[in-house]
Amino acid sequence: MASDTSMIDGTTAVLPSRPRAADQRGVTVWATLRSFRIDIFGAIGLVLLVVFWWGLTFVVPRSSLPSPLNVFRRIADDFVVADMLSYYGLPETGLMGSMAYTAANVLIAVVVGGLIGTVLGLFAARVPVARAISDPILNTVGTIPILVMAPFFLIWFGTGRWSAVLLVTVYVLVILYLFAQRAAENLDPVYESSARTFGAGTGDILRDILIPGTLPQVLGGIRIALAGAWGLEAIAELLGAQQGIGKIIEVLAGSLDIEGIFAALLVLGIVAVIADWIAGALVRYVTRWSVSARVGTT
Amino acid sequence: MTDSSQGKPNDITFTDVTRTFVRGDGQEVTAVDGVSAHIREGEFVCLVGPSGCGKTTLLQMVSGLLPTSGGAITVGAKQVTGPGPDRGVVFQKDSVFPWFRVIDNVEYGMKRRGVPAAERRDIANRYLELVSLSHVARAWPKELSGGMLKRVAIATVFANGSDVLLLDEPFAALDYVTKHQLHDVLLDLWRSTDAPRRTILFVTHDVDESLLLADRIIVIRDGRLVDDIAIDATRPRDVDTLTRPDMMTVKHKLLAHLGLEHGSRRSAAS
Ligand SMILES: Nc1ncnc2c1ncn2[C@@H]1O[C@H](COP(=O)(O)OP(=O)(O)O)[C@@H](O)[C@H]1O
Ligand SMILES: [Mg+2]
Repeated sequence: MASDTSMIDGTTAVLPSRPRAADQRGVTVWATLRSFRIDIFGAIGLVLLVVFWWGLTFVVPRSSLPSPLNVFRRIADDFVVADMLSYYGLPETGLMGSMAYTAANVLIAVVVGGLIGTVLGLFAARVPVARAISDPILNTVGTIPILVMAPFFLIWFGTGRWSAVLLVTVYVLVILYLFAQRAAENLDPVYESSARTFGAGTGDILRDILIPGTLPQVLGGIRIALAGAWGLEAIAELLGAQQGIGKIIEVLAGSLDIEGIFAALLVLGIVAVIADWIAGALVRYVTRWSVSARVGTT
Repeated sequence: MTDSSQGKPNDITFTDVTRTFVRGDGQEVTAVDGVSAHIREGEFVCLVGPSGCGKTTLLQMVSGLLPTSGGAITVGAKQVTGPGPDRGVVFQKDSVFPWFRVIDNVEYGMKRRGVPAAERRDIANRYLELVSLSHVARAWPKELSGGMLKRVAIATVFANGSDVLLLDEPFAALDYVTKHQLHDVLLDLWRSTDAPRRTILFVTHDVDESLLLADRIIVIRDGRLVDDIAIDATRPRDVDTLTRPDMMTVKHKLLAHLGLEHGSRRSAAS
């Protein structure tokens, strides 16, 4: 079943524990080095992409594709305050401040939508009546392209922060509902039975079995939802907002400022990649007990 | 059932126990059909029978995970109405929680019963040592082999101090050598306890396993108790014990119950 290198069978011998501890440390160091090496490959990939982009600028006219160097310079110039944008009445023109606004919205939506979706999903998996009610609603919402809801949210909640947050929250909620429900259904009932023979009550089972047992899939769902949330939040801002990366893109598009749009998109992309990287590391640590976690680390 | 020992903390009484299931196609199946028996305190009983005869169903009703459709099961003085820590279960499937380290698994039952942290760690360490797993106390279950996981499950129910142990084909998926090692582990743990011993109900379809382990073998067929055989052999038992004429007689009888013996041999043996 599991990898043979890490398996020490108690049937053969009782090994002294000291060398084993050292072994484990060696394994950890090796795993760290390996993931570091993979990060290097990732960095090489990024460099290649930038080189490719730079090469393209010799073929494509500058008005359609700005050069990487100019975009980087633009990011540096507009990082705190963007003079170009001060005429548009934005409360925040800097890339950093706009990105912080967008990131905060995504964070709120992922946390709130993730929590509600997970709770509903687990509940639906264990209480048939709850499922009979929530399944049709959430599955219907899930089949509607989420952006179709954006105009309604704008009409109901205005162009402030909460229309965009709500849109992303619904998106995350629907994904996590499905992930949590499926995870709870796939959890082997033997664990709950076993816990009950130890005298565990409903609350104990929720805390000791259902939540840890579904955590790998739930966190996997959070990662997928997070990846999609960035783009959705940006588009929601583009459609109607006071600030944020999406708003900046909308304003710059009005003045055909391709370079500025690229700068904003690049900042959004970099933040999204870093967020996914952090989330991935966190998930791997929290679910390091899981059989698939080992496969996932390579 | 009207035994004078009734009411002791760890004897089991089955009174006309029945369990029916309604299948998906609407058909009713009687999985356990009017079983009556008394298991004395400290007895090691094997439940033997062909696949689908109702062994798991019977065991699950003793554990309280499954209600009876008729009749009653009493453990000690109490009628079974639900699961409880007085009855420890080792499931056929691996039931060690993958998200807890080995030591935390062994402590889990004690934790639920409110045993103080330091005390339960001591007890858990002691039982891990008894099943030769001290070196993996801090490991995750995924790092253990199938045989090691069974050792953890056994250590867990023993550490929890259950009076009655219910084991449902615990070693069926293990290789020959590991299985025999675990027989010794189980018997040593059971015999090492100061009297009174724990009562053990051990489900198996392996005839030799039942002959090596049991004080008494109860045979189930089609949900009914069809035979109840006392095994009169001292422990430890080995291959030679199994070839003794009286043991061979029992073995032939069991094989016949499983439908593996022809009528002529069966009558010749008994
Ligand atoms: N949940 C269930 N629903 C319907 N039938 C069941 C269920 N559990 C067991 N049975 C039926 O009861 C009978 C006994 O099953 P079981 O106790 O698992 O047998 P064994 O453990 O001896 O192999 C079988 O015919 C099985 O199909
Ligand atoms: Mg069975």
